[in-house]
Amino acid sequence: MTPQRSFSISRHLNKLRWLSLSLVFAMLIALPCLHVYQTYVAAHAYDLIAPSEKQFYDVMEALTSPLTNDPATDLDAVKGNTWSGNFWGLKLSDPLAAVGQAAAGMTLYWPFLLTALIPIVVTAFFGRIFCGWICPANFLYELNSNLAAWLQLIGLKTGMRRFDRRIKYVVLAVGLGLSILSGSIMVAAIYPPAIIGRELYYAIAQGGFGVGMVFFAATLLFDFFVSRRGFCRYLCPGGALYSLLGRYRLVRIQRQVQTCNDCQKCNAVCEFELDPWHDGFGQECTNCAACIAICPTDALTFNLRLVDLAPQGPGHLGRQYRREHEHLDRDVDEAAA
Amino acid sequence: MRVVFLIMLASTLFAMLPGFLGLSGQATAHHILGRPAYNLNEDSNTPPSMQAEVQVGQYQMTYMIYPAFPQPGEGARVSLYIIGIDDGVPYDGKVAFTIREMPWASFLGDDGHEDHLGTQPPDDKVYRQGFTVPEAGDYLVTARFEGNGEPYVVDFPLRVGIPPLLGPFAYVGAGVLLLLIVIAVVRRRQAITAKIRTAQSSQSAQR
Repeated sequence: MTPQRSFSISRHLNKLRWLSLSLVFAMLIALPCLHVYQTYVAAHAYDLIAPSEKQFYDVMEALTSPLTNDPATDLDAVKGNTWSGNFWGLKLSDPLAAVGQAAAGMTLYWPFLLTALIPIVVTAFFGRIFCGWICPANFLYELNSNLAAWLQLIGLKTGMRRFDRRIKYVVLAVGLGLSILSGSIMVAAIYPPAIIGRELYYAIAQGGFGVGMVFFAATLLFDFFVSRRGFCRYLCPGGALYSLLGRYRLVRIQRQVQTCNDCQKCNAVCEFELDPWHDGFGQECTNCAACIAICPTDALTFNLRLVDLAPQGPGHLGRQYRREHEHLDRDVDEAAA
Repeated sequence: MRVVFLIMLASTLFAMLPGFLGLSGQATAHHILGRPAYNLNEDSNTPPSMQAEVQVGQYQMTYMIYPAFPQPGEGARVSLYIIGIDDGVPYDGKVAFTIREMPWASFLGDDGHEDHLGTQPPDDKVYRQGFTVPEAGDYLVTARFEGNGEPYVVDFPLRVGIPPLLGPFAYVGAGVLLLLIVIAVVRRRQAITAKIRTAQSSQSAQR
């Protein structure tokens, strides 16, 4: 019989994160639907549209009627996607969008740059929280990763190659350099959350996917057959920027060595192959809380620190520590005798 | 003066008499809602469902389909207007039209079966080709003609019937997403176990 652990909210943060990822993904599907419905309403087009579109109209009308009496106007309140959007008057942009725009335009257009301020401040506090909690591509990448893990369990091999994490900083630098040279935000073309936002809009509002979906499918295959979570770990330019911005994040996960039993499950479930067992979170940690959720002894918690703790050695509940300290205790006893 | 007025009134009434008696021929509308009548099918006063303009070689082509939503088993028409890019002079040769259904595997090189629709001379500078397609679907209309000794073959899309709300790619995408979610939810514990085992075997291999 396994002992019951007391309820701890931090252990359930990973579920909350999945809820957040699901809601963001659902929002990216809902927004183009709302936009299409809004267009139909504004054009008084009900009698002109095809029967299947009428069904769509009716469903959207039923969903939105409790919220608004004037969808043609009121649905303007929410527009955009995670790349850049307007949410009830609050304009938010991905920091990569701001940096990319500044590079492509070779100017600092403050009204747009300021829309990235809140995400930058949040990243300075919480690190790559966008990657772990919001990124719609991460939602799909993690599902893909789970599928790969399950297939491994039934005997199929999937990609586990490792590369240098610094490649993504090169990708970011090259992308921004090309943006400067071309005058176009090149990083947006290979940035999965921006691609997902665009492609979902194309698919729903314009009836077909664009070439971006081919690229995104290629990244999923890369993750599946070459390197688990390879795109986020090694290639994503946004991940590189968030890692830099979150290098000195205030909120970070910390291991309590006194309650660690060295089971290493935290290392196993970390999607970014970090090393929580040796206190190695670094700037790549997304604060996803998967390691906290899996820890059987609640040895991982959130803490307020600007840097990670130095490696604390083996966990005090682990065999290695006990063995070493039994030796020490015995030596001390023998010396005393 | 009064006589002249009476003669004019009598002439007018005489001219209107056949109309009153229902003897006049059917009047042909010249314009409907401001659009030139020659643009429209007699049975359809709707705008074209598709209007595409392309430039190929020395010609610019405008392609239209009438009525707005061609239905399976009902007559419809393609109109093609071809002018020279340089001089704006309408092409006056013959144009052959063929049609083929676009198979779902068209991107793999499967072009499907092609049917000849007809060869048309210009009709008021426009090439009009009527057709009836029995089944709904996505088709390609191909126009072939020869200009300045060079063959021209141009493909245009044609949708017959109401398009489905979701296409095959949407079904595939939704299916894959559903599969991923089901595995993530139903096989969550197994997936975590697999990750832990993989990590452990990877560590032991490194040692």
